[in-house]
Amino acid sequence: MRFIKSHLSLIFPMVAILMGLEFFIAFDRTTKGYEESLKDSYAMLVVAKDEMSIDDFKSWDKHIYKVAEIEKSKIIDKVDLPFKSSDTSNIDKDMPNFYSIKLDKYLNNKELEQVKRNILKSDRVTRVETFDTLHNSNYGLFSSIKLAFQTFILFMTIIGFFLIIKQMEVWNFMHSERMKVMDIFGASLFLRSKALIVMAIVDAIISAIIASIVFYTIQNSWIKGNHIAILEDNIDGLFSIDDLLTLSFASIVIVLIAVFLVVINVKEE
Amino acid sequence: MSNIIVAQNLTLSYERDEEIIRNASFVIEKGDFVFITGPSGSGKSTLLKSFYGNIKPQSGTLLMGGLNMSNIKKPKLQELRKHLGIIFQDYKLINEWNVERNVVLPLWIAGYSNEVQQTQAKRLLHHVKLTGKGHKYPLELSGGEQQRVGVARALSKNPFLILADEPTGNLDEYSSNVIWDLLENACQQLETTVVVVTHKIPSVFNIPYRHFTIDELGDIYEVH
Repeated sequence: MRFIKSHLSLIFPMVAILMGLEFFIAFDRTTKGYEESLKDSYAMLVVAKDEMSIDDFKSWDKHIYKVAEIEKSKIIDKVDLPFKSSDTSNIDKDMPNFYSIKLDKYLNNKELEQVKRNILKSDRVTRVETFDTLHNSNYGLFSSIKLAFQTFILFMTIIGFFLIIKQMEVWNFMHSERMKVMDIFGASLFLRSKALIVMAIVDAIISAIIASIVFYTIQNSWIKGNHIAILEDNIDGLFSIDDLLTLSFASIVIVLIAVFLVVINVKEE
Repeated sequence: MSNIIVAQNLTLSYERDEEIIRNASFVIEKGDFVFITGPSGSGKSTLLKSFYGNIKPQSGTLLMGGLNMSNIKKPKLQELRKHLGIIFQDYKLINEWNVERNVVLPLWIAGYSNEVQQTQAKRLLHHVKLTGKGHKYPLELSGGEQQRVGVARALSKNPFLILADEPTGNLDEYSSNVIWDLLENACQQLETTVVVVTHKIPSVFNIPYRHFTIDELGDIYEVH
C-alpha cells in the first residue's frame, strides 16, 4: 500500500504537469491554424501614384508576401456616379492605383504600424489603410484567450512542481539511509541512486502514458461525440502519437532533475 | 610487516576551534588487532571515522593503505572503502533488503556476478551461524543476529582492514562473545587488521592485541 502510495504521489503531479504541457502544445498547434485563417482573411490597402510590382513592395517590408492590384473599373462600378459612362474613362486615367496586400503572418498592432511606416517611406505611395480597428479587436480577443490559457497552464505547472518537491522530500527520507550505507561501502553516485532512477523513470513513463491516454480519449471520443465544429476542425492538432515521445522525454527530464536534487541532498553521517 | 594505518601529528576536529584528537602519532600494521578505548565523547568514533574518510584531518598526516586522507579525492576514497569492512553499533543494515542482499552489499558494489554473490552469501551466513536466515529481513532478527549480519557484510570481500565502532555496545554477553570470536578468527586466520572502538575490552580475549586509549583532552596513548 505504501509502495503504491509512493508511486501515485509522483504520478499525479507529473500527469498534471504533462497535461498542462500537452494542452500548451495542442493549443499552440490549433491557434496556429486560427492565426493562419486570421492572416488569410486580412489585407492592407495601399494607394499609389504609379504602377508597382510585388518586388517594389517586398523591398520595403519583409512581411509583405502577396500583392494584388485592385482593378480600377471594379472600384468605379461600385461607386454610384451621377454622370455618363463615357466620362469614366477620364476618371480611370486620373485615378491612383489600388493594391491589396497580404502579409506573411498575423502581426500585432505595433508590427502593423511598422509595416505601414515602411510602405509610406516611398514617395510613390500616397496612402496606406491597415483597417486596424477590426484587426485589433480580432487580435485582442485572440491574445487574451491565449494569455488566460497560458496563465492557467503555468499555474497548474507550478502546483505540480510543488507536489513533486514534496514527494522528493519523502523520497529523501525513504532512500537516504540506504544511500548513506552504500556510500560508506564505496558505492558510486550512480549505483547509490540506481534504484531511485529506475523507479523515477518508470513513474515518468507511466505518467506520460496516462496523460497521452487522456488526450487520446478526448480527441477520439469526447470531441467526436459532441459535434462542436471549432473543435472538430482542429481535432488533429489536439494529440498525435509523437506527443507521447515529447511527454515521455519531458517527464524523464523532470524526474531526473528531482532525483539529482534528492541524491545531492543526502549528506554523509 | 606492512603499515596499514600511519598517523603523524594527526589532529581532528569538526569545528576549527575545538580539537577532538590532538597530535596523534601511531602506526598500525598488517595483522594487528587494536582496541581503542576512552571515555564517552573522547573522540574514539571520530578517529574511526577518519579511517574511512568520513572526516578529514585538520592537520598532520593520516595514511590509509598508503593513501593520504588529507587530500584524497572521492573516486580514490570509494576505491579504498571497497576494501574496508566496517561494523557499526547500530548495525546500519538496509532494512528493505533481505539478509542475503545485505551481506553481499560490498560484492554487489564491486560488480561481482549474482552467482558469486549467492555462493559467498551462503558461506558467510554459515560462518556467522545464520544459515537459513538469508531470506529474512533485518527487522525480523534479534540485535545479536543483526550484528552478525553486519560482521558477515564486513567480511564478505576479504577486506585488508576491519573497522568496528562499538560492535557489541547493544548486545548481551552471549551475542558479544560470538562477535568477538568472529573478529578474532578474521584476524588470526585471514591476517586481517582489525581496529575496534569500544568502551570496554572483553575480559576473555584469545589473541594478542594492542590497546590505544584516548583521554578527555584528545591525546592518544598506547597502553603496554
